[in-house]
Amino acid sequence: MSGRVIVITSGKGGVGKTTTNANIGTALARAGKKVVMIDTDLGLRNLDLLLGLENRIVYTIVDVVEERCKLKQALVKDKKNPNLCLLAAAQTRDKTAVTEEQLKNICEELQKDFDFILVDCPAGIEQGFQNAVAGASEAIVVTTPEMSAVRDADRIIGLLEAKEEIKSYKLLLNRVRPNLIKSNDMMSVEDVVEILSADLIGIIPEDTGIITSTNKGDPIVNDETSLAGKAYNNVARRIIGEDVPFLNLEEDRGVIAKVKKFFSGLIGKEK
Amino acid sequence: MKDIFQDLFNKVFGFFRQAEKEENAKDTAVNRLRVVLMQDRTNLTPELLEKMRGELIELLSKYVEMDKDALELNFEQEGNQMALMLSIPVLRAKDEDEIEDQDDEKTSSENPEEEEQNDNSEDAQDQEPEKENSDETSEEEEQKIEESNTNQKEQKSK
Ligand SMILES: Nc1ncnc2c1ncn2[C@@H]1O[C@H](COP(=O)(O)OP(=O)(O)O)[C@@H](O)[C@H]1O
Ligand SMILES: [Mg+2]
Repeated sequence: MSGRVIVITSGKGGVGKTTTNANIGTALARAGKKVVMIDTDLGLRNLDLLLGLENRIVYTIVDVVEERCKLKQALVKDKKNPNLCLLAAAQTRDKTAVTEEQLKNICEELQKDFDFILVDCPAGIEQGFQNAVAGASEAIVVTTPEMSAVRDADRIIGLLEAKEEIKSYKLLLNRVRPNLIKSNDMMSVEDVVEILSADLIGIIPEDTGIITSTNKGDPIVNDETSLAGKAYNNVARRIIGEDVPFLNLEEDRGVIAKVKKFFSGLIGKEK
Repeated sequence: MKDIFQDLFNKVFGFFRQAEKEENAKDTAVNRLRVVLMQDRTNLTPELLEKMRGELIELLSKYVEMDKDALELNFEQEGNQMALMLSIPVLRAKDEDEIEDQDDEKTSSENPEEEEQNDNSEDAQDQEPEKENSDETSEEEEQKIEESNTNQKEQKSK
């Protein structure tokens, strides 16, 4: 087995990388895939909280590279899903505690046992980003329809394009607010896709359910009734290779037609 | 009752606001982003762009008389390709003699006397010997003064 290593990155902080990681990881595991998530945000670890695993962490990625434990020992199993594991970041160390080479080696080793290795990237474009990207061959660039987030995503895309190891990258647009788009107060999905000229892998609506699910340590994909959960599930299915149409986040009839038309055009373009 | 009026007011006001404003928040964001991303992607800062604009004006003024304030230099996106668009509102093309005269003038104006010339535009006009077609005088005048201004700046920086 040689698993796919996907880095989830954004440039800007707080746009939903970690949320995306937890949800896509959980959704892929629910679909029967063996998944491991690596939190590379050293010093600012969060992925454990979103998964409700914070009390189960014994070893971290730093313990692995400093050989205080075996890689397998450091993998924390998810409470609900035995297919899902987490390699936690160290909370007390900084970004220099792990090198690009070490992360690459960890990813290579995990590829033997897992279908998917999802790497949660810290914000910024410095060493933390370089480390997170080091072992990956695919990337998901998370952004929101806000100017600063789109600008940072553009920077990240430029950096990813310069990396030979990254074979493909996709755009995930988070915190989309159909009402604001409808009133022309927010950039539309179409606008962002055109500006960044990148393939879209998902559109996630702004959803207060994400806050409550974070509080509970239970990713929103586990809630079958949630729209954001459904959207994340669809992202996971697209990653696996299914052709899933984009959700209609919009209620207004007239706009639905337009949105549909746009989405079907996009799907047509997808490889 | 109050609500109905409030609602009506909002509707009417909203209508006028919409009619007045051509650009909404979303369009503003898209347009600003486009410009800023072009600059990010090329490393061309607004300062450099302004410098380029100034130099282009200087160069082009030699051949055409134009509305300098309306000259536009912008990045535009065409699909995946970006283009640097220069729009020059031409008032009049200059003829060969004029262009040659300017060349001579330029070489002769590279002396300290020129400072005087810039201080007073009236003087500048007097000192222009080959000014014959008077209907174009004022515009051409401005142009030449600006030109020598740039010359002056250049001399300072040297
Ligand atoms: N679609 C969404 N709707 C509502 N809140 C969201 C959404 N996505 C993320 N958030 C919230 O935004 C904050 C930042 O998310 P996070 O995943 O930690 O971002 P990052 O890892 O990029 O810094 C969190 O409080 C999270 O709950
Ligand atoms: Mg994070």
